[in-house]
Amino acid sequence: MKMMILVFVLILSAVAVLFIGLSFFIVDQTQYAVVLRFGEIRKVISEPGLYVKTPFVDNVIRFSKRFYIYDIPVEKIITLDKKTMLVDSYAIWRISDPKKFIESVRTVSLALSRIDDVVYSGLRNTLAKLDFDDIVTGERQYLSDITEFSKRNLADFGVDIQDVRIKHTDLPAENQQAVFERMKSERQSIAALIRAEGQKEAQKIRSEADKKATILKAEALSEAERIKGTGEASATRIYAQAYGQDQEFYRFLRTLESYKFIIPDSVILIGEDLTILNQMK
Amino acid sequence: MKAKLIAFVIVIVLLVVYVATGVYQVDPSQVALVKTFGKYTHTVGPGIHIHAPFPFQSHVIVDVQTVRKQEIGFRTVRPGQYVQKKEEALILTGDGNIVSVEAVVQFKVNDPVKFVFRVENPEELVKFTTESALREMIARRTVDEILTAERDRVSYEVHQITQQLLDAYDVGITVINVLLQEVVPPQTVIAAFDDVNNAKQDKERYINEALRYANNLIPSVEGEVRKIILEAEAYAQQRILQAQGETQRFLSILKEYKGSPRITETRLRIETLEEVLPKAKRIILLDGSQNITLLSLDKLIGGGGK
Repeated sequence: MKMMILVFVLILSAVAVLFIGLSFFIVDQTQYAVVLRFGEIRKVISEPGLYVKTPFVDNVIRFSKRFYIYDIPVEKIITLDKKTMLVDSYAIWRISDPKKFIESVRTVSLALSRIDDVVYSGLRNTLAKLDFDDIVTGERQYLSDITEFSKRNLADFGVDIQDVRIKHTDLPAENQQAVFERMKSERQSIAALIRAEGQKEAQKIRSEADKKATILKAEALSEAERIKGTGEASATRIYAQAYGQDQEFYRFLRTLESYKFIIPDSVILIGEDLTILNQMK
Repeated sequence: MKAKLIAFVIVIVLLVVYVATGVYQVDPSQVALVKTFGKYTHTVGPGIHIHAPFPFQSHVIVDVQTVRKQEIGFRTVRPGQYVQKKEEALILTGDGNIVSVEAVVQFKVNDPVKFVFRVENPEELVKFTTESALREMIARRTVDEILTAERDRVSYEVHQITQQLLDAYDVGITVINVLLQEVVPPQTVIAAFDDVNNAKQDKERYINEALRYANNLIPSVEGEVRKIILEAEAYAQQRILQAQGETQRFLSILKEYKGSPRITETRLRIETLEEVLPKAKRIILLDGSQNITLLSLDKLIGGGGK
């Protein structure tokens, strides 16, 4: 009998614990909770803490309050100047209104596809009005336009877009190849230019050296002529002074001297009278 | 009675085990955020702590000291070994070229409450934010600027912008550093870029060779010049000395001649003829009948010539 009572008490308390357990629920710091009763929204809770519900009847759905980062798939965009660009963007978003969220999209994955649609159209509309270079290099004003656009269009879903940013702007593979080719040829021409400059400068240095050498030599030759000239002048003066003392004798002596060069190996005609030798002048 | 005791012990043990689930340890680099019924109440530092067991309290541990990092353009497979992430690394530059950039962003949690409660995936947020800032800064510059002088500025600016954005998201993160690792031209064009460097070397080489030529040429020409001048001087000197010598001889002879002119004149004539006539090829003597007699000089003068 005593045993029976104990078992009964145990069962009762177990049921009570279970019932209490099902009547309370905890909402975490990072969560929203929506209490549904047969699909009807009874309560939206955005503050963390301990809450009560009716067991078996109420159903609690939780959503994260935190920022999500959605890495939007790479999109192909045609720019104003008809170039193709691959844009890799991401959106930072959070659920701002759990009631609207559950009414309109219900799950995060469905929300992502909405975000995808909206951000993509925002990107395409905005970027299609810009030239390729402006998108790549320009100030990112257009990003806040896209963020604003997305914010406006997603507010109805209880989704708040914090920021839309571009992670990468890329060229399609075939254009990328073309850029590589251009980069290559650009570098090649730079290299050729540098080499040509080097050769030009080297040539200049050589020519200047040659010029200097030529001038130096010419100066030296002219100087040499001058020196020789003074030497010859002195010599001439010395000769003139000496020979001037007796011109007749000089002529005589010089004539005799010249025989030494004229006579050898020549044919000489001499008259019968050997004294003619005296007349050879 | 015995059964009662056993039941009592079991209940006590279960109770102790249950309470023990509230015991937790916080390491020196960490803090723990304690939640009561899901709501954040307070933060505790390193040490061993206890809070009310489930479902009353819970905690989240955050490392606030360790410097965290995210890699852009590459991944560390294991320490010292990396793989490139080409699609992440290749970035368009302002002048329509493409560079390959690898970077690391280092960051730290400055507010654990925001870090844990405000964002789903803070690491990814940092990575994406840095990537987009990097892309933006690279796009403002030309490929040459990025590869050379502007490197440091890029990393500085990326750091600034990333921090600004993270502050705007209010997620409790401090960016410590953005480090650009390898910043190079894409693999397929790297050879062409290297060739530009080679060209610079070549240019230096051409110029140095020319300078060497010039430096060799000028001294050798100067030597030559010196030689020309010296030769000229030697020639001049020679001419003067020759003149002096010759005139000296003349004057000596003249002196003697003045003493006895006739005999000296005759002697000079004869001596000269004696000396030169033997060297003549033929001497033709004409007699009164105008016959031409050929004779050798030996007969004529009786000298020792041939």
